[in-house]
Amino acid sequence: MTRMYKGMIALPVLAAVLAGCGDSGSTSNSSQGAASGSASQGNGEKIKLSVWHNYSGDDLRAKTVRGLIEQFRKEHPEVELDSQPIPTDAYRQRIQTVAAARELPDVFMSYSGSFTDEFQKAGLIQPISELLEGNKEWADGFLPGAMDIFTYDGEVYSVPVAMSATSFLFYNKELFEKNGLSVPKTWDELLADVKAFKEKGITPIALGNQAPWVAQSTMFGVMADRLTGTDWFMNAIHGQGASFTDPIFVKALGYFKQLSDAGAFQEGANSLDNTQAEQTFIQGNAAMIMNGSWSISDWAASATQDQMDKVGVAVFPTLPDGKGKANTITGGPGGGFVLNAEAEGRKRELAMELIYKLSSADAQKAVAESNSMVMYNVDIDSSKVTPLFNEAFNLVKTLSFSPVYDLYMSAAGGEAVNNGLQDLMLGGKPETVAAQIQAAQAGTGN
Amino acid sequence: MTNAGRLKLFMISCLAPGLLVYGLFAIVPIVWSAYYGFFDWSGIGEPKYAGWDNYASVVREPLFWRALKNNIIVVGASILGQLPIALALALLLNRNTWFSRTVRSAVFMPMVMSTVVVALIWKYIYHPQIGVLNYALKLVGLESWTMPWLSDPSVNMYALSVPIIWANVGPYLIIFVSAIQNLPSEVDEAAKLDGAVGGRKLFSVTLPMMWDTIKVTVIMCIAGSLKAFDLVFVMTHGGPAHTTELLATYMYNSTFAVYRYGYGSAISTLIVLVSAALILFSQLLMNRRSSS
Repeated sequence: MTRMYKGMIALPVLAAVLAGCGDSGSTSNSSQGAASGSASQGNGEKIKLSVWHNYSGDDLRAKTVRGLIEQFRKEHPEVELDSQPIPTDAYRQRIQTVAAARELPDVFMSYSGSFTDEFQKAGLIQPISELLEGNKEWADGFLPGAMDIFTYDGEVYSVPVAMSATSFLFYNKELFEKNGLSVPKTWDELLADVKAFKEKGITPIALGNQAPWVAQSTMFGVMADRLTGTDWFMNAIHGQGASFTDPIFVKALGYFKQLSDAGAFQEGANSLDNTQAEQTFIQGNAAMIMNGSWSISDWAASATQDQMDKVGVAVFPTLPDGKGKANTITGGPGGGFVLNAEAEGRKRELAMELIYKLSSADAQKAVAESNSMVMYNVDIDSSKVTPLFNEAFNLVKTLSFSPVYDLYMSAAGGEAVNNGLQDLMLGGKPETVAAQIQAAQAGTGN
Repeated sequence: MTNAGRLKLFMISCLAPGLLVYGLFAIVPIVWSAYYGFFDWSGIGEPKYAGWDNYASVVREPLFWRALKNNIIVVGASILGQLPIALALALLLNRNTWFSRTVRSAVFMPMVMSTVVVALIWKYIYHPQIGVLNYALKLVGLESWTMPWLSDPSVNMYALSVPIIWANVGPYLIIFVSAIQNLPSEVDEAAKLDGAVGGRKLFSVTLPMMWDTIKVTVIMCIAGSLKAFDLVFVMTHGGPAHTTELLATYMYNSTFAVYRYGYGSAISTLIVLVSAALILFSQLLMNRRSSS
C-alpha cells in the first residue's frame, strides 16, 4: 500500500524532473533545428509536439493509426514529435495521472462521454471548431450525430476517429441449424433457445465477466434501453425526474437476472475474461455471444476461415412492453483526439493539423479498411475487410444508437452497475442493486 | 569533545543517510496520504477540503468492512497455513542431504516466479470448465464437489488463500531452516543425555529456542498479508461483486477506477492503522505466552 503512494507522489515529481530535462533539451536542440533547415517560423527551433494514444497493439487498426502518425512526422521535419502509444488497459489511468499533475500531452486520444466531459469541465482542453469550419466538405462526411457528444456550448472539442458498437448478438449458424432453432427475435424466443441449448449441453450464451464491464457494456445496456428508452436514462443520470430506483429500471435488472437464472451463461462466467468467452464461442462451444465490434478483429486475427464462416450477426431481441426503440445497438462515436488547452501559436496550428491528419476522410477510410468501424461515410473496399465485418458494418448503418451505460454515467455510478450485475448473477436482488446504483450515481453528480 | 561524544556523532552521521531516505520514501508518503484523506479530489481539478468526511464514509461503508474481513481471512490463512507448513518442512528437511535440498528449492520456486505467472497458473487450475481441479474431482467421482471456485462467494476467498499460501511458504522455510541450523549443538546433546527425544525435544527445547524467530515471522506474515494485492488483483480484480475485495484492492479500485483520490487516501491511512493494531496485538499475545 505504501508502495502505491510512493508511486503516486513520485509521479508528479518525476514529471517535473522530466519536464525540466525537456526544457533544457529544447534549447540544445535549437542548433540542430536550424541545421536541418526547417521552415518553422524562422526561429530555427524545432517545435515539440506530444501525442498520446492507445493504438499500441499489433492489430491492423493500431498499425494504421501509427502509420498516419509516422506520415505526419515525415511531412513535418520542423516538428519534434513525441508519440506515446499506451496499452488500452492502462490508458485511462495514465491520462488521469498526468491530468492530475497538469502534464497532459499536447494532443491525446480521449474517450467520448464522461471522460471527455471531465477535461472540458476542468478547462484542460480547447475547441477545434475552426478546423471543421475550414474544411466543410470533410465535416459533412461524418455520420449524423457523430459530433454531438464532443460538442459543449456550441463548440466542438473533437471528432470521432472510431465508432463503438458494443452489443452485437453473434450466433453460431451451424449450432442453430443443427438443433432446428432460429435466431431469437423476441425475449420469449430467446428464453426458449436458451432452454433448448441448455438441454443439449451447449452453453447458450458465452460470457466472460471477470472484468465486470462486459455484461454491462455488451448486454445490459441494450436490454435496459429496449425497456426504458434513451430519454429516461439521460434523465436518470442527471437526476431529472427519473431515478435508477424507478420500477422500470428495476424491471430491466430483473430481466437480466432472469436470463442468468435461466442458465444462459456458462458456469463461473464471473471468473472468466472476455477473451476466454470469445474463444469458447468461436470454437463452437457456445451458441451465442454478445460482444462489440472488437470481437470481429479478435477473431479475424485468431480464428480459422471455417470458424469465421459459421458466425452470423444480429441485434438483441425485443422485450415485451418496452418503451425504447427496438432496433438499437449500444455505442456511438468512439474516441477522438483532443487538444490541450495550453497549446498556442504555431504549436496549436500544428496540433490541429495532426488532429486533422488522424481524422481526415482518408484516415477514416484507412481505419475502416482495417476492420474497424468509423463514424464516417466511407466506401470501403469489401475485398480488404472480412465478410463478417462487412455484414456487421452494414447492419449497424441500419440501426440507431443507444448510450453505453458507463460512458455516460459517473465513474462511481458505472462501477456500481458493473458490480451490481455480478451481484445479480450471484443471487442479489434487483431492488437492492438499483438502490446502490442510484446512491453511487447521485453521490458523485457534481 | 569526549570520545563518547565523537562516537555518537559518528553513529549519527552513519545513520542519517539511511534514515533520510527511509523517512522521505516511507514516512512522508504515509503522512501525505493521511493529509490527502481530508480532501475531495477526483484527480482532475482543484481538491476540495472535506474535513473528516472521507474517513467517516470509509468507516460507514460496508464494503470496507467486507474487505477487512477478507483480509483477516488472508492473515489467518497465512499465519495458520504458511508458518506451520514452513516449520514442519524445516524440521523435516534440516539435514543437508541431496533430497532435502531439492525439496527446499522446489518449495522456494514459486517465490522466484512472477506473481502474475502464479496467478495465471492458479486461474487455470480453478477454471470452471477446463480447470485441473474440477477435472480431478470428476475423475475420482466427486462431481458434486466441482464448482466455479473463483466466482462462488461462499468459497472464493478460501480458494484464493491457497495460492497465497503456496506462493509464500518459501521464505519462511528458509528462515526456519537457518534458525534450526543455528541452534547450539551442546543444547541438543544435553537434551539427548537427559533423554528428551521426538516430540518432547521439539516442544521443550527446539521450539522455545526458536521462539524469537517465530515472532518475527508472524509479524512478517501479518504485514505481508495486509499488503496482499497483486495475486488477488490478477485472479479476481476483487470481484465478482466485491466478494474478494481486500483492503488494498478496495483502495486501488476506489482511487483509480472510481477516481476518488481522497477517499482512497483515507482507506490507506486506515490500512496503516489496522496493520499497526494487529501487529501490536500479536506482539502482546506472544510476549505474554513467552514469559509464562
